[in-house]
Parts: sequence; C-alpha cells; structure tokens
Amino acid sequence: MEGAGWDFDALVREHQSMVFSLAYHFLRDRQAAEEIAQEVFLALHRSRTDIESPAHAAFWLRKVAAQRSIDEARRRKRRPQVALEATPEPAAGGTPGDPMLGELLRRLIATLPETPRMVMVMRYQEDLEPAEIAALLEMPVTTVKSHLKRSLALLRGKLQRRGVGEQ
Amino acid sequence: MDWLDQELKQALARKEPPAGFADRVSRSARSPRVMMPRWIAAAAAVVVVAGGSIAWREHQGRLAKEQVMTAMRMTSAKLKHIQGRVREVRQ
Amino acid sequence: MVIGAPLFAQPFKFDLSHLESKASNTLDLSLNRSTLQFAAKFLDGSDPEEADVKKLIEGIDSITIKSFEFKSAGSWSQADLDKVRNQVRGSEWSRMLGYKSAEDGEVAEVYVREVEKKVAGVAIIDAEDKSLTVVSIAGKVDLDSLAQLSGHFGMPKLEGKRK
Repeated sequence: MEGAGWDFDALVREHQSMVFSLAYHFLRDRQAAEEIAQEVFLALHRSRTDIESPAHAAFWLRKVAAQRSIDEARRRKRRPQVALEATPEPAAGGTPGDPMLGELLRRLIATLPETPRMVMVMRYQEDLEPAEIAALLEMPVTTVKSHLKRSLALLRGKLQRRGVGEQ
Repeated sequence: MDWLDQELKQALARKEPPAGFADRVSRSARSPRVMMPRWIAAAAAVVVVAGGSIAWREHQGRLAKEQVMTAMRMTSAKLKHIQGRVREVRQ
Repeated sequence: MVIGAPLFAQPFKFDLSHLESKASNTLDLSLNRSTLQFAAKFLDGSDPEEADVKKLIEGIDSITIKSFEFKSAGSWSQADLDKVRNQVRGSEWSRMLGYKSAEDGEVAEVYVREVEKKVAGVAIIDAEDKSLTVVSIAGKVDLDSLAQLSGHFGMPKLEGKRK
C-alpha cells in the first residue's frame, strides 16, 4: 500500500490496538486476538489495491476484525463453554470505578450472543454511533439500537442482582 | 452518558497487543511465505494422543474440514475479487 | 487418465511445473472427491457458512489450488502465463470473465469447462506482480453461490458505505 499517500507499516502502528482490542474484548482470549489481528493486517496487505484511502483502511480493518472474531466465536461454539453463573464471582461486583466491576462487565458482555456482543464492543470500545455500527456490521440501524437497548437492560439487571449500581 | 456507559467505556478501553506485534506483522507482510492459515497450521500441530480410531477419525475429519473451508474461502475470494475488478472496468 | 470412464470422472489437472521452479513459496492444496465427502460429514449444517460449503461441494469431484509467491516482480513472464492459459484452450473450455489492469499489471481470468452441455469444471487464473494463483475445480460448480461465500468470510463488500 506504499505510494498513493499511505503506508502499510504506519497503518499497522496506528490501528494495531483497535484491531487487537476488538478481537480481545469479543473473544477474551489474548492469543486468539493476536492471531486474528495478525491475519486481519495481512489480509489488508493482500487487498491493498482495493483500499482507497487511510480512512477506508480503518473502516475495512474494523469490519474484517469484527467478522473474523465472530467467525472464530462460531467455530468455538461447539466446545464446552462454562456458563457465567457457574464461575465464581464476588458476591458484590464492586462499586463504580472499581476495577473488579470492569472485569465483571467484560465477563457479562462475553455471555452475550455474537451479534449484540460485537455491537456493544463497537459502541463502547470504539465509541461508534449506531449508524456507523450498522454500516460496519451490515444491519439496519434499528437493529443496532435494539441490540444496544436489550444488552444494556440485561447488564443492568445482572448487576442489580449482584448489588451493583442503581437499586 | 450514565454511570454504566462510563463503566463500559472503561471496561472496554483499547488494549495494546503484545510487544513487537507491529514489527512481526510488517515482517510477515513483506517476507515470502506459504499462505498457510493459522487454523491449518494449528490443526497440523495438534498431537493426537491415544484415543483410538474414533479420536483419530475425528482429528482427520477436522483437518479435512479445515482444508475444505480454506479452499472454498480462497476460491470464493478470488472469484469475488475478479468480479469486482471486472465491474469496475465496465463502469 | 482412465480409459472408458465418463468424462465427468476425469479431473482436469494443470501442469504448473514451469512456475514451481521460479517460486519462492508455494501453497498446494489438493482435495479429491473422497476427501471432500469425508470432510462434508464434519461440516455443521446449522452453521450458515458450513451449510453453504456443504451444499457447494456436493457436486464437486476435486479442488486444486496452487498459489505461487515470487521474491520479486517480473519473476513470471507472459510466456509463463500463456503456458497456463493454453491448458484451458480447447473445445471444452470457454473464458467466462477476465480483466487486465494497466495500473498494477494484474491479470485474472475465469474459465468454464463444459462437457455434454453441462458445467464440468471451473478454472481461475489470477496473476499479480509477485504471486500467481491457479484454482481448478472439477465437477458441478455453482459459481454464483461460490462467489457469495466470500461475504461470510470476512472480506467486506467494498461497494457502498465506507468510512
């Protein structure tokens, strides 16, 4: 992708944490996230003639990282999963600002089905608006908003049961 | 933005990949290599421990499946790429 | 080549030895009918991508992919490419799709083989400056369904909305 104003190595440095984090927060597996992130960048390099600009590259990276992560989650589906309720958790999930609460939230998000989980990661990791998420995941904006609303309601309910947040 | 939004933003803040990631990617992109997807490499690296013929068959089946998926993905991507370029030329 | 066997049962095979000697790396993926049928048993019908692949490979006798990478641009010549193309010239083969890019020199073509008025195979040749890939599928191939697959596999459609 050298020439035409952008540089592959610079794109890797600029977007590595974005791509890695998308996979990591989605799968909660550092090794898998690193492998997926590497594949995504190598796929970008192979598709370099199709990329129009650095901004297009960023869009492309988010989209492919999301899709590869979802594909990986589906491949893992048949492996035995430990339900969140079966894992030991603190009786109280911590208070706002508490790192334990952060860990609890990450684990709760990991229990969401793939699509709403990716919607949540895109919203809160990338600070994307529903319309941007809809374009990346190729779904209607109303569906994105519905996933956000339901996921947040689910999280609030689970947190309240653990005595966290507004009662 | 309420407290939960703030907490989610913090919980899902970006993390840095392991040290040296960018260098490894750049080297891989530039150095000639066999385009071996990781799932095939990983599958090939699996050591089949005793389990009898059923476990072996399952292992062989998974390998075969991964090869088929890889072949179909590559072929489909090539086809789609060519169709896309032809469409661009025609426009 | 099996004498007397119906033509459908005779998979076409490219001779790419002239490229192998020049390549710095080669991917060689060769799946015959028994491997395809065996793999099909492990494809999950409830997974949309795997279900599509399972359906696609039902009529396929073999898939061969050879992808060569070269150390530098200019490693393969027009004569090398013609040697590949000449193998899909003949009454059974017709070129379905193709383009050549003046910008980056990429040449890509899709050929279809017909026997007794039925599709009996597909060949894809994609030559870029540092790589050359040849895909050969023998059997009944649904090209439209095959092209649709890549939408599942993380290669985004680049038409339309972009950021």
